[in-house]
Amino acid sequence: MRTPLRLAGILVVITGLVASAESLPVPAEALHRVIIPSSDEVAWQEIPWTIDLLEARRTAAREGKPIFLWQMDGHPLGCT
Amino acid sequence: MAGRALAFSDRAIIETIRERFVPAAGDDWYRRRQQDPVGRFYRKVALQRGGWDGDSTRQGLYCLTASGKLLAYRNTSSPEHVKRLLDDALERWRALDESERRPRELDPGEAAATDSEDRRYARPVPDGALVIRVHARELDRKPDGTFCKAPPRDRFQNLGSLDHLWIRDEEWRRLAPPAGAEVGTTYALDPEIAHRIARFHLVDNTRGEPPFWARHEVRRLELALEVVSLEHDVVRLTLGGDAHLGTRRGDRGYTPRLAGTLEYDRSSKRFTRFDVVAVGDHWGRGRYTPHERPGKAPLGIAFVLADGSTAADRVPPQAARDIDLYFAAR
Repeated sequence: MRTPLRLAGILVVITGLVASAESLPVPAEALHRVIIPSSDEVAWQEIPWTIDLLEARRTAAREGKPIFLWQMDGHPLGCT
Repeated sequence: MAGRALAFSDRAIIETIRERFVPAAGDDWYRRRQQDPVGRFYRKVALQRGGWDGDSTRQGLYCLTASGKLLAYRNTSSPEHVKRLLDDALERWRALDESERRPRELDPGEAAATDSEDRRYARPVPDGALVIRVHARELDRKPDGTFCKAPPRDRFQNLGSLDHLWIRDEEWRRLAPPAGAEVGTTYALDPEIAHRIARFHLVDNTRGEPPFWARHEVRRLELALEVVSLEHDVVRLTLGGDAHLGTRRGDRGYTPRLAGTLEYDRSSKRFTRFDVVAVGDHWGRGRYTPHERPGKAPLGIAFVLADGSTAADRVPPQAARDIDLYFAAR
């Protein structure tokens, strides 16, 4: 008797979950667009960053350029 | 984040770095610790700034030669300061001999760098993993109940954050609809993935490195998937549910609802869409996230599948510093 009851309980919970998701106050797609960064906010990605410092050194030696290293406590290309 | 929005959104800075430098980025937390050629090289450069206890952060902007000679350094997100830094570095660069600007060989041991990588601090994207970009943003609630971006504040421009959610190959296969699934089939999200999302990605990282949620701070977490359409090989799923995350003292918390759409291609056996949002009231601060808004205020978090087109898509989740905990969040 306990197993069917437990299964029924799980189904009730899951049904309730989907219903609660539908009660999001705004359409999810519209909210997604508000939160995702705009093209202006991702201008920093126009810089061809590498996260491989060894690769950067090899490229710098080959092309005769200095390295610009952006080093943060928490990766600057993703963390905050 | 301020650097991304300020200095590295400045057109002149972008062009100068693109044309005159080899741009690289890294996490100081790993590099100041790793005992391998990359870590040693980084510390050699950082030591040229002088006065280091060998332990604390050395974050900032470095201009250097391929051999590791420091040309200029500053820790700033001000566009004017960055422009001056670049000018200073290029002036010193021009004064160098050609042999320093274009060395024929790098330091000994460099060739074996990959083989001798310090694996305690290596965080490659796991083979076959789903990489999902995660963006958080402060929102305001409008009178009609919808949301908009919160207006800029004095020190914070209401910037969208960026982190990454990793779901390993064997894990995302458990997200796929079960055999024989039909429209209306509903199933709970795998609890390991649900807890990873809740503890490490339903966080306020809009002002700095956030505190993550401890296991006992997950007060409620219910996420489920429902098959909503089956067209040819594409299964469309909705993800929905809610969470209550909060400290024992109640001084920090988040109560989001989640909703979104996933698409699974049964022929290629790949997820091709992962558009999910979380929205709800957040309150409180962490050690590195002061200056929160007063009281409870809406925080939105959006998830979207990464396409691997940028170096950023290979950056590990912030919480992956403790990689074992990250993959065993439940």
